Order: sequence, then C-alpha cells, then structure tokens
Amino acid sequence: MLGAAYGWTARDHRAQELVALTDRLTQLEKRNSSLQEQASRSADLHARLSELETALAAALRDAESARQAALVETPAAEMARPAPEPVVADAAALDFGDPEKGREVFAQCTSCHQIGQGAEDRIGPHLNGIFGRRAGAHEGFRYSDDMKMMGADGLTWELANLDAYLENPKALVSRTRMNFAGLKDPQDRSDILAYLRQFSASPQNIPEAAPTAQPREVDLSPEVLAIVGDTDYGEYLASECKTCHQQDGSDKGIPAITNWPTEDFVVAMHAYKRQIRPHPVMQMMASRLSDEEIAALAAYFAQGE
Amino acid sequence: MKLNRRAFVGTGMAAASTLGAPMVHAASHGIPKVVVVGGGAGGATAARYIAKDSAGEIDVTLIEPTRSYYTCFFSNLYIGGFWDLENLSHSYGKLASDYGINVVHDWATGVDRDAKTVALAGGGSVPYDRLILSPGIDFVDGSVPGWDVSAQNAMPHAYKGGSQTELLKAQIMAMPEGGTYVMVAPPNPYRCPPGPYERISMVAHVLKANNPTAKIIIADPKANFSKQGLFEEGWQKHYSGMITRIGPDFGGENVTVDPAAMTVDVDGEVINADVVNVIPAQKAGLICEAAGLTDGNWAPVDGHSMVSRLDENIHILGDATNQGDMPKSGFSANSQAKVAAMAVRGALTGSRVFPAKYSNTCWSLIATDDGVKVGAAYEPNDEKIASVSSFVSQTGEDVAMRKATYEESIGWYEGITTDMFG
Repeated sequence: MLGAAYGWTARDHRAQELVALTDRLTQLEKRNSSLQEQASRSADLHARLSELETALAAALRDAESARQAALVETPAAEMARPAPEPVVADAAALDFGDPEKGREVFAQCTSCHQIGQGAEDRIGPHLNGIFGRRAGAHEGFRYSDDMKMMGADGLTWELANLDAYLENPKALVSRTRMNFAGLKDPQDRSDILAYLRQFSASPQNIPEAAPTAQPREVDLSPEVLAIVGDTDYGEYLASECKTCHQQDGSDKGIPAITNWPTEDFVVAMHAYKRQIRPHPVMQMMASRLSDEEIAALAAYFAQGE
Repeated sequence: MKLNRRAFVGTGMAAASTLGAPMVHAASHGIPKVVVVGGGAGGATAARYIAKDSAGEIDVTLIEPTRSYYTCFFSNLYIGGFWDLENLSHSYGKLASDYGINVVHDWATGVDRDAKTVALAGGGSVPYDRLILSPGIDFVDGSVPGWDVSAQNAMPHAYKGGSQTELLKAQIMAMPEGGTYVMVAPPNPYRCPPGPYERISMVAHVLKANNPTAKIIIADPKANFSKQGLFEEGWQKHYSGMITRIGPDFGGENVTVDPAAMTVDVDGEVINADVVNVIPAQKAGLICEAAGLTDGNWAPVDGHSMVSRLDENIHILGDATNQGDMPKSGFSANSQAKVAAMAVRGALTGSRVFPAKYSNTCWSLIATDDGVKVGAAYEPNDEKIASVSSFVSQTGEDVAMRKATYEESIGWYEGITTDMFG
C-alpha cells in the first residue's frame, strides 16, 4: 500500500481512485471477516463457559453428597459456592485502537491541528473528515507542493496510509510541511486513528464539548496579541530566520515557518522567549525580540512570499 | 528632492559621508552602482539581498574568480565520507538570471579609493558608489616555518573550499596501514573555530573504518579550543586511542615542517608523517591589505553597518573583518551581509534602515548522527559587535538529541546556500 504511494506518478485519477477504492473495499472486507471471526470465537467461548459452569456445579454437588455421606453426624455445612473465573475474549486484533487513549495521544498534535466541532485550519489543516479526504485537497489550506502532488496522484487518506504517514511523515510525503518525527509505537497510531475516525465516519456524532478549546502555551495579554506588525521591519528581521528555515516552506531538519496564522506564530515565539519551548537556538533568537518585533515577524511570515 | 530625502533618511554614516564626498550618485551617473568582491557567504548574500530588495534601483556587480563555488563549511563532511563533493558545489547562475546581478569571474587585484574603482586581474576596472569586500581569509607568511603556499600540495591546508579539500581527502585515503596524520592547528583568531576539531573527528571516522591502526596527532598552539569538552568526550567515546593532541604546555606552539621530507618537528621531536594538514595563521583576504583597509591582520569595521572604519564607502564582511565578538564563520558572514545590504540600500536609495542584529550558530559533526552546536546572538555598540546571549550543546546529551542536531545542521546548509545563491 505504501510502496504504491511512492510509485504513483500517472495522472489517471479515475484509475487511481479505483485502486484506492478497491484497496479500501479489500480492507473493509478483511475487517468484516475479522469481526465475524471474533464474533464466532466469542460465541464459542460463551458456550465453553456455560459448559464449565455446568460441570463445576455437578462436581460441587458430587463433593457435597460425598462429604455428607462421610460425616453422617454433621449436618450439612453451609458452603459458599465459589464464583467461576471470568473468561475474557482477546480483543486486541482490531485494526482500530482505543479512541479514548487516542485522544490522549492526539494532545501532542493539537498545537498544529484542530479537530471536532468548530475546528479550523491552523498551522496544519483541521482533521474533521480526514478519512476519505484526498491528500492536499482540503480547500483553503496551503499544502506543500509534494502533498498536493500526492493528492493529484490519487493519495486518499485511509487507515493504512494514515498509519504509514503517522509513523514517518517524510517517508510518505518527502517534503511535507508537517514537522513531526512520527509515532513509532503501532498501538499509539491505532489509538489515534480510532480517535480521528470518530470525526470522519459520521460527522453528526462530533461531540458537543469540542476539544478545540485548547489553552495557549503562553498566557499573552490581548494588547500583545493585538499588535499589528510592521511587515517591512518583519522582512528585515526575517532575513535572519531564512538562514536556517527554508524559504520555500519545506522542512529539512528545520521546520517550515511560512504561512503560519499570525497568532500561532506570536504564541510560539513568546513560548521560546519564555523558555517554555525547549530549542536553544530558538530561545536565543526569541530572547532578544520585543513584542513589536515578534508581531512584525508574524505579520511578514503570514503574508507568504 | 530625492537627494535631500536620502541625506535625512539615511543612516548617520550616510549623512556624515555627504560632508566629505559627493553623494549624488544617482544624479551624477544614473543608477547607483554597488560592487561586491567575493562570492561566498558574505558577498553572495549581500549581492543577492541588494539586488532582490532594490528591485532594479541599484546596479549590482559581483566579482568572484571561481565559476563553481565550493563551500568551506561542511567540507569536513566530505572528508568524513558523509557527503559527496557535489553537495558542496554551487553556481552563480541564478544570481545572474533571477536577480540580474552582473557576475564577473575575475580576480579583484586592487581598489582605487579616490577614483572609486576596483581593478581586475584580467584588465580593466569596475566603478562603484559603494563597495562591499568579502574576500575571506589568506595565510600569514612564515607562521609555520617550513610551510608556504608552494608547499600546499605536499601539505594541504584544506581551509579554503574546493581542490584543497579534495586533495586532503585523497591523501587520507591513500595513507599506509597504521600511518600517521598530523594537523598543525592555527592560532586565534581564525576561520571557523570548531573547524579543525570537527575535521579531526571526520578524519578519525574515515580512518576508523578504513585504517583503524592509523594515528592522528594535533599540534596546537592554543591552550583551549571551541567546544573542547564536547569534542574530547566524542573522541573518547568513538575514537578511543586514535587521537593525540599536543597543546602549548607540551610545545604544540613550537612547530616547524619539512614538506620534502614529510616531517613535523614539534618542540624538537621529529614526527614522520604520511599526511600533514597545515592550517596556518590567518589574515584578511589580500584585497583588504591592497586597498589599505587593514589594521594589523584584519580589517576594522563599525558594527552598526559593517562599514570600514577607514573608508565610509566600503563595507567589509565576514572572516576578513575585525568586528568584535562574532566568530569567523559562514553564518556570521551571512548575518553581517544582511545588515550591510540594508545599510547600502538605505544610503543609496533612502530605503528604511533598522537597527542591526546579528547571530551565529556553528554545528559540528563528531561521528555518525552525533552533532553538536554552539551559537550566540549579537548586537553592535560603538566599540564592537557584542555578544548578548549564547548557548552550547552539553556533554552527555542523548543520541536522539545529537541526531536531531545533526539533521538540523543539514537543514541549515540548505537554508544558507539558498540564501546565498537563490
């Protein structure tokens, strides 16, 4: 599935879509049969459980009558019948993990991605309806050229390729703007995908208490957030950023900083300035920037090239 | 009107210049001319920023002898076998085609500061209103007795990018089994403070794989060096037993070489070597001296605009300068170029001039995925460019952080070379 993504160069969208849909169908069939298999295993286990219970009850009755036969003078003792050990079916074979755990894993994504009711595009696109969405095709978000290319080549997000992308974003989309090393633990990925899935399959089920109300990393006064940056000054200050950060917005060991929403940029820089974010170079660069200078940079970078 | 505006809007330096020299370039001979000598991290960046931001209001000429520029920064990665030579090579094509810069492949041999022209080795001269010199380094004659530039084939310095880097790598690869590599390290100040020690790491890396019984000796005139704790920790960890450093306490400053015999005499002890990497004491690129802009070995500049303290129409960038606290590095030169470009545009076209800010970070690779860094932010005062905050990698960092630091350095290389060459 992943290897195919690399090889997609033809522009025959319908053919590619067919391939993607066939894949999806195969996958659903597989999942369906795996569920059926589990259901039948579960029924087997239930049957075995009642068998065992019956056997146990019979054994207890036998033991009781044997005891009474042996101790004739003793009246029948009150014996508490021990409860049978519960038998639990193994449920770990599902493709999707635990959405509740996924919500916790997703916390590290929320500085860039929103999901749920009222979710908007921030540094990354919102993730409502991500399953089945064509890569790089969400209206109004500025994707990397590579992501757009993958979408044009037919990449449509589903379980397997989202799993691959989360494991190593750059392995799937080499010059993606998503600055994330990847989730190495398969369980984390299947949990997070179960969580994301909740906001895709049936959008009407999006919980009312939307998880979009994230507290800011740093507490900034409305005055600081309201500063309108001087883009000329921002352009000069930005020349220092461009020594390291790619001007075309790609990410090569150093994250992209173009086309960020102004507020996110301002919050990030203040977080470095206050040493809440850890990177030493960024802490140093931010430490000497005034509120106005941070606003100027944010204004400059928000306008794009 | 335009002239008055420039006089009042420009920097103090520009305003002062109007008293002594005619400032009416635009009026006297049309579009103002900026000539940049040297197409490295300082010069290429300055040329590109002036051309880009003046959008045709300034005529920019870049004089650089080489057609393919090989960066000196990251050349150690080639020596260590991590990069190909092609990764270090850049052309000036985009500066000409996309930015309209007049790229002249020639040597600048002198400056007539009264006539405001730059003489070319190929004949002729180029007039300027503002001149930017970014010539990098040259070597101090006689700093390592027995060595001069005619010996650089036998004992390469590999401290300017390109053929010297390739030569040193070839010599290291051809060392006999169990052979000896000697580095004669330079005294302060010199280009790229961690550079010699990153090179030691890279030589050790390549020898460990190909010639593990080889020995590496450093004769060093300095008691201490950049990122010393980090390098020494790394050498112990990765290259235990391969590297010996002879500091000044053991005569490391008292070195003579014999290129014909391939020997190095360190305080009376003669070492037979297979490769001798002599990094001599350094000074500003010769053009600075030829133009009469040096004081001692370096060219003094005012950190507010990188203008020469000896000529108000000439800005000097990078390794060649004596500016204060910034190290001589490609990052520093690039940072200084942006300040100078802004000052030059302000003086010639009246564009806005903001207070100078500088920064530098030097990444070094010790072994595979074991990267470290040191850096600082700077601001000018009337005396010098002064460090205002700094950081350095710590010993004992985990492997993930070191790997991220190395990856970050690759990102920086992409960033700065795009910033230089477009």
